[in-house]
Amino acid sequence: MSVEITKVGIISCAGEAIPEGTISRLATRRVLESLRPDSTVTLCLPLFLAGNEGERNFAKTHPTIAIDGCPKQCARWGTEKHSGPVSGAIIVSEILGTAATGCSRSVRGVSKPDKEAVWVIAEYIAAEVDRVQTEENLAAAAETTTGAECACSAPVPGRKVVVAGKTVTIAGLQLIFQQCLDRVIPDNDSGSTALLEAVKIYHRIYPEEDEEYRQALLASYQEFCRERK
Amino acid sequence: MSSETNDKPVLVIPCSGIGKVHGLISREATYLVIDELAPGQTDTLCLGLLVKGDHEAVTAIKNQPCITIDGCPKACAEKNVQLAGGSVAKAVQVAESFKKHRGAKPGTATDLTEDGWAIARDVAQTAADEAVRIRGNKEVV
Repeated sequence: MSVEITKVGIISCAGEAIPEGTISRLATRRVLESLRPDSTVTLCLPLFLAGNEGERNFAKTHPTIAIDGCPKQCARWGTEKHSGPVSGAIIVSEILGTAATGCSRSVRGVSKPDKEAVWVIAEYIAAEVDRVQTEENLAAAAETTTGAECACSAPVPGRKVVVAGKTVTIAGLQLIFQQCLDRVIPDNDSGSTALLEAVKIYHRIYPEEDEEYRQALLASYQEFCRERK
Repeated sequence: MSSETNDKPVLVIPCSGIGKVHGLISREATYLVIDELAPGQTDTLCLGLLVKGDHEAVTAIKNQPCITIDGCPKACAEKNVQLAGGSVAKAVQVAESFKKHRGAKPGTATDLTEDGWAIARDVAQTAADEAVRIRGNKEVV
């Protein structure tokens, strides 16, 4: 069976005023040129923001990862405003912390800390690309399953939910929701805890993500219930 | 723009386009201007922040003269500064400087060759000359 590779878009803030902007730009280039050349493309943020439809449409129809230098997250903001939720988001300053202090904005005479910072962020981006692709492939496989195969090897169909602005595919969520519906778990706030607990059995959710998942799952469950009425 | 314009640094804003060498030249030319050629008279800010509508960035471009440096004729930096309400005192195009360097091999979107740095210096000099003219050769106090 041939596997079609879903191209992942990477959009970098390239913030001119801070070294982290240069790091985000160079790390993105490294992923494109060396780490994941066959599975990634880059989107030009200024072109995107200036209204280029080609760039915006790509981000609407393909998974896209935003790489931002600082917590202001301009690349993510711009992408989500014009093309919908991003599939992943990386904030360079939060990963590097004080390690970016000695880094330069210019590529002239790059130092060892500059190179190391770019390497670290590039590895993070590559890992995020892999995660996004795995989720996309699982979702695609679920959509194309014909039923004429052994159920043991078939991936469990997934359902996408948007958690804190990030699209997450949860394998088997349709089945979990159906089970919750059978248990007459209400599709309002009073049922959200039971919903969260049911999903946690099959999908890893960190305690600090509880509230965001609770809201996302409830919204998706309400949609699921409406579809069945 | 306010009458205090002449007391503030000229903002040099590149497109930083990530797909081609032209974007890297625009970015490095900007650093050449603010770090070497007109360090007391110029500054830069993040184009993304400006487009996001960050109050401080928008106020800055409305009150300070701007020079944009664009890699290609799509002129994203110029367009975005104008969309944010800024006025562009001079729009510099990297592609124009290429005409003076026929046959040059400037490098890639990641690294510049000697040819690439020569083009970046040309672009930077154009922007710096304009910044100095706007500032009347005065350092920012």
